[in-house]
Amino acid sequence: MIRRELQLLAILGLLIAALSLWIGYGEAWSQNGEAGAPKRNPNYLERNPFYFEGKVDYELLGIEQPVDAWEFMQRGIHRQDDLEDREGAIQDYRAAIERNNPENGTCQIVKTLPSTTLEFQQLTPAPCLFTPRLRLGYLLLHEDTLQAIELFRQVTDIDPQRLEVNALIGEAYELLGDQASDPEDKEALYLQAVGALNAELALSPVTELTRRLTGDEANNAHAHWNLARIQEKLNNLPEALLALDQYLKATRWHSDVYPWRIPLAQRRMERLRARPGPSSGQ
Amino acid sequence: MQAQRPVGNPHQPSLRPQPYQRAEACLPCHRRQVDELRSSVKSGYRSVSSVFNALELSGNFLSGGRLRPVYGDSDKITAIDVTGVAGQGKPLNTNMNSADAFTHINQVQAAFCIGCHAPHIVLMGEDPEQREIPELEGVGGKFRPDLIRPLRDYHFVDSSNRQILPEKIGGPPPPGARPSLGAQGINCDVCHDITAPDLDRSPNRDGLANSSFELIPTISKIGPFLFPAPVKDNFHVASRDPDQIGYLRSSDFCGSCHDVRVPGDGSGSLTHREISLNPESRSVSLFRLENLNTEWMTGPYNSTRNPFGRVIRCQDCHMSLFPYGQESTYRVGELEVTSPTPGQFPLNFAAVPGVSTDRNYPLQQRQVVTHYMTGVDVPILRTDELRARLGQDYPDVDEPGTDEYGIPLSLAQRREDLLKAAVRIDLDKSDRTAQLGRPLTVKVTAVALTGHRFPAGFSQERTAYVQLSIRDNRGFLLYQSGYVVDKPHPEVGEMAPDGNLDDEDPEHLHAVVDPGHPAAVYRVGQFTNGHRNQVFQSGPDNGPDARIFFGRPSGLVLWRNELTRVFLPGESLGRFNEQGDPIRLTRPHMEETFSAVLANSVDNYRSLPPLRPRTYAYEVVLPTREELQLLGVEELESPLRVQAQVNFLHFPPLFLRFMARTTSAEGPGGRDYHLIDEKLIDDLLVNVRAIASADLTIDLEAP
Repeated sequence: MIRRELQLLAILGLLIAALSLWIGYGEAWSQNGEAGAPKRNPNYLERNPFYFEGKVDYELLGIEQPVDAWEFMQRGIHRQDDLEDREGAIQDYRAAIERNNPENGTCQIVKTLPSTTLEFQQLTPAPCLFTPRLRLGYLLLHEDTLQAIELFRQVTDIDPQRLEVNALIGEAYELLGDQASDPEDKEALYLQAVGALNAELALSPVTELTRRLTGDEANNAHAHWNLARIQEKLNNLPEALLALDQYLKATRWHSDVYPWRIPLAQRRMERLRARPGPSSGQ
Repeated sequence: MQAQRPVGNPHQPSLRPQPYQRAEACLPCHRRQVDELRSSVKSGYRSVSSVFNALELSGNFLSGGRLRPVYGDSDKITAIDVTGVAGQGKPLNTNMNSADAFTHINQVQAAFCIGCHAPHIVLMGEDPEQREIPELEGVGGKFRPDLIRPLRDYHFVDSSNRQILPEKIGGPPPPGARPSLGAQGINCDVCHDITAPDLDRSPNRDGLANSSFELIPTISKIGPFLFPAPVKDNFHVASRDPDQIGYLRSSDFCGSCHDVRVPGDGSGSLTHREISLNPESRSVSLFRLENLNTEWMTGPYNSTRNPFGRVIRCQDCHMSLFPYGQESTYRVGELEVTSPTPGQFPLNFAAVPGVSTDRNYPLQQRQVVTHYMTGVDVPILRTDELRARLGQDYPDVDEPGTDEYGIPLSLAQRREDLLKAAVRIDLDKSDRTAQLGRPLTVKVTAVALTGHRFPAGFSQERTAYVQLSIRDNRGFLLYQSGYVVDKPHPEVGEMAPDGNLDDEDPEHLHAVVDPGHPAAVYRVGQFTNGHRNQVFQSGPDNGPDARIFFGRPSGLVLWRNELTRVFLPGESLGRFNEQGDPIRLTRPHMEETFSAVLANSVDNYRSLPPLRPRTYAYEVVLPTREELQLLGVEELESPLRVQAQVNFLHFPPLFLRFMARTTSAEGPGGRDYHLIDEKLIDDLLVNVRAIASADLTIDLEAP
């Protein structure tokens, strides 16, 4: 009898708990006004329809356990930047990408937009995120370079205009080229690197308007610096000379974080010009 | 937090109305407060500021004049109604300040800038006889960019207090002109006539943002004291309402303006769903421009979990002796910090004894606030022009001397001292040894000691960054970040370097913003009105994007929030490819923009969070021995010397150049508004260097 009463009390307790939850849910719902309304934490940035791709200070988010792609991305950033937990960050970025993956239908490469405002705001499936792909790719650059390239390629598909992604692809191919033992493979990989760096340069070309507004004759000093190095590895000396010349032009009004590279580029040009052979550009 | 948050709707006025007074009316009894307030940028300077006026103009160029106030006698209608359907407009005769509650976006846009910078002037404008800022004749497609005047044109009166205008649009002050009431900006009456938060006009029904206060000009002035002295001749009465007094003393009072939510066409921010929570305005979406109060509200100063063990309000730093009082030493994470203590107030009379009280009622000295309200801004306007527009007694930004408390009279000095109290850095987590040709990791740990993020306010333009260099013991420069280069700026006619480094942006990004151009037929939007990036390239010190999106530990550490435009497929990026064709997008593309009006997203998390140390690594590669030999350098001399410092720019030069061009004859108005030019930037933009610094030596070891 007592057991039965206890069971009834337990059921009643559960019902009350469920009712409280429902009431609380209803209250939150009515505060927010409608389904899918923003959470009350002003630092929790609900997508609309794109994700906020930056870093929110994780302490402000109030996430106990990430459940979706954006939350895993945020925790991954926190682990990588604030806790220096590389492995934890890799796990979280993988979890974010798994939950934001065009292959399993959890995200889309946005090519056209829905015709109504409501459909646009809800944009289903969600847009594919670029930040976890870039961050995971960068972390894997040396240990799984091919996967890094694949991740960077996904980003160029998501946003072909995003700067510096092609430069990283170039960096990755150069790494592969350095590791390749077969000369033909090596050359092919270096050429892929050159192609990627040229694609990077093409995203912010120096046009007539640019020259008129800035006085710059070249831009993107680091892409040219890297190009010069790869062209030298390919023994393409005129191209290497050209890249160094562009590097010098690009640094004319902007210097470099490694300022000693500027006189070094001049010395390298002198040395390249002094090299014998038909491809020395002389 | 809850204890000081006023709830409920505002009180109705019960005392007789009193017109808004000029500060001079308060001066005989409150001389100290008026003098202090005059050198605050919010009072006077902002109204005539070149940057504020240019920004407001440029916003109108893009939006079709929608940032100007409309009034109750307007015959305008909204272009888009609450359901988002075009062509079903409703009367648009209320603005951001006058609406009881917002029902459509155009109400929030109308008076959007001036509504916080001079709310009383907007409210007075309901009476055509007192209207200082007229309504534009045409807005939207009927807007005439060639006819709009900068707001500061309206801030002149003659000796009879009648409004007079410069002869030419944007021209010099007319002869005999005196500053109008509006020229004083936020003066005494604005704050001391605010009776309560206005929940119905605040986006989140919390009385925060976009001047969501109840401003009622009566003889009742709200001060900070529960037991005020009787005022002489009843010029005014001092409120004894504890709710009103409590509100004035709270951070929420400041938060009613110091969060700025920009109403967005359609979705608002495309990366953050945020709608107005007011029952009647749920179709009004928003994005957060100024997020200062929210930063404070969700930060450690709005709790007892801070080094001082009590809530630190805005007034405790910006209306106290701070940073000129005593100092405190405390730990933040692993850092031991000594910095000025907030919340120290001077003892003084709140009014001048002998002249201010009824029947010479004796005054007692009490803890009083200062009214300098120093922040990170100083005028970018020459003193002679400030005085021509605001009166010959307008204080010099570099005025020598100190006040009775030892606080510098110079606003520039106060600003610099405040900045120096805002942040600390150290290099202790860096590598202690290095080898040629090998990576070296230098780590800068930084902490903001502010009640909000640093920088805050218009934090998408306020710029703090780490300048870091590594040299060998002989001075050979191995690495630099946060450096600037003297260069030409042909876009504003500066064809050669001018020898000035204060007008240069750090080298993470090269951008030139399109100023727009005059057009035979005006169209709302980007078509001829500029705002997109004509030039947008990564620089060699591109730390911000590398660190945030790639997780790459290199390049500039920049604490500046970012306005972003999410361009959508089919949109034009506003610049050209190598073939000279306009770049049209096939995919969404997010790009930094320097225009708050063009932005449809904002990243308010790039600034430094308060009291949470952050560590930034720089993975640096040292030159190889072979490279050094090629350079003719025999060897580097140990130790390597790392020097890091935090610098502050209150506007990015490239942003000011955009403002200069868009308000010149080159821009959509087709005329020079005489607001900003390269010379003004060269003469007055100051890079405040080394507000915090740290040094370290690293041993160079043989491989």
